[in-house]
Amino acid sequence: MAANAGNKIRNAKVVLLGDVGAGKSSLVLRFVKGQFVEFQESTIGAAFFSQTLAVSDETVKFEIWDTAGQERYHSLAPMYYRGAAAAIVVYDISNQASFIRAKKWVQELQAQGNPNTVVALAGNKADLLETRQVQIEEAKTYAQENGLFFMETSAKTATNVNDIFYEIAKRLLQGQPAQNPQAGMVLSQRPNERVVSSASCCS
Amino acid sequence: MDKKKGVDDTEPGPAPSRPVDRFGFIKTEHSNSPEGILKSRSTHEHEREERRIRKWRKMIGVGGSDWKHYVRRKPHVVKRRIRKGIPDCLRGLVWQLISGSRDLLLMNPGVYETLVIYETSSSELEIIRDISRTFPSHIFFQQRHGPGQRSLYNVLKAYSVYDRDVGYVQGMGFIAGLLLLYMSEEDAFWLIVALLKGAVHSPMEGLYQAGLPLVQQYLCQFEKLVTEHMPKLGQHFQDEMINPSMYASQWFITVFSYSFPFHLTLRVWDVFLYEGIKVVFQVGLALLRFCHDDLVNLPFEQLLHSLRNFPEEATDPDTLLPLAFSFKVSSRLVELDKEYRKKLEGPSASSSSKRFQPLKSRVMSRASSHVSSSPNVSKK
Repeated sequence: MAANAGNKIRNAKVVLLGDVGAGKSSLVLRFVKGQFVEFQESTIGAAFFSQTLAVSDETVKFEIWDTAGQERYHSLAPMYYRGAAAAIVVYDISNQASFIRAKKWVQELQAQGNPNTVVALAGNKADLLETRQVQIEEAKTYAQENGLFFMETSAKTATNVNDIFYEIAKRLLQGQPAQNPQAGMVLSQRPNERVVSSASCCS
Repeated sequence: MDKKKGVDDTEPGPAPSRPVDRFGFIKTEHSNSPEGILKSRSTHEHEREERRIRKWRKMIGVGGSDWKHYVRRKPHVVKRRIRKGIPDCLRGLVWQLISGSRDLLLMNPGVYETLVIYETSSSELEIIRDISRTFPSHIFFQQRHGPGQRSLYNVLKAYSVYDRDVGYVQGMGFIAGLLLLYMSEEDAFWLIVALLKGAVHSPMEGLYQAGLPLVQQYLCQFEKLVTEHMPKLGQHFQDEMINPSMYASQWFITVFSYSFPFHLTLRVWDVFLYEGIKVVFQVGLALLRFCHDDLVNLPFEQLLHSLRNFPEEATDPDTLLPLAFSFKVSSRLVELDKEYRKKLEGPSASSSSKRFQPLKSRVMSRASSHVSSSPNVSKK
């Protein structure tokens, strides 16, 4: 996971979306700090994290926005997914309602987001096999039909957590070869992306 | 699974054996709460504290009987004393007096019990999912299905039934949790009602409406105030594409009760209950002013980190609050409020303007001490 010194670093903005308690913050915490807390404090507003990941000879630096899951906070989400290079839509495999909510997020991303955004679907809490409500085949089929890549993850056991970020990094690098190597940060088109963000306030 | 709260492989012992700070939060190595404050108090300070408590007792009278009279007679003395901090042993009672929630409770006997026992709420599942994620590091709320979690659930459920338009909103749990550390379930419930629906005034009215329009408005006003009071920092935020919703939304949504040093949360709440939402702006500005010289030199990422993790010196209430009160924002907030609403009504004058009542009434209208029992504020 450590970044190799000396090679190109590309910034990529990633946003996590999904239902309350699906495990968005836990996935981020596992990826960024290698930790898991059984009762992760609810996210109010949004939280920012960063982590770098080396993919072959390049390094991707993820700027991660972890959002609040509740419907009431929905109106705050666009400023985080607009301009994002990737989105991870998270549901809880032991909660069918969270899968339905995940589909709504996917629809919204398809309708409102940037078509180049890499969208990953994460079926989290994969360790809770006994209480599974969302079948892996169902999610896989849905992901294929909608051009997402899909993984079941567990923030608790760390299964597939680094992998999903690694896969995102790979796809970002494949999808957009460096057009401006000396700048080294074309993925998220940072200035534009942030202009959109601040425009959603009142300036 | 009745594991309480464990970081990975460390098996948590029984809760009482774990060291907690003076507020009951389990200590972390880099605990932000200055534990030394109480211990290092000299006898002189102790005496001063006792004198202060006596003054307060005299001011509120037995069971709060003299409070209203005192507030009417000497509002400025009350304001000054509140700004210095309400003595912790009287805090729960005084909060109920300031907010007027005591009156609500007395006027509505049995209502809370009915809400808890007989009513069902469509938000129950959502509430349950957040219960063990509200102050998970506080011993009172840590035990699964323990008294703390049960009270928290009851209060939130009762409110979601009482005010079906608002229901349950993430963030309310931290407010309920904060109150439950100082008063009973029923008292906490009525205080939330007072905050959102109004008794003496209603400092949080409209805050949790769908789309959180009021939060958006506050953030917008806050951004303007930052630029006006600290132009250099305002410019730096603009250059780094930082907007206040990235760091300040939870300040407004929970009035600093979320992810903030608890000793400062309490002092902010003392003032908030008496003076209203403007103190959130003032404290926000004070935090930025205190760290100004560092912040103006930080790039995007470190800036965001610093805006979420203020240094301990910055969060000492006796330093920060006087700084906060030095920002005179009341009249400017009213102007900005007008501007904001005008802009909303501008191109497409819609019904949404009704949502935004003049800020003035929220900031400092203490004139009417009516107990509002209207069930639906948003239809006003």
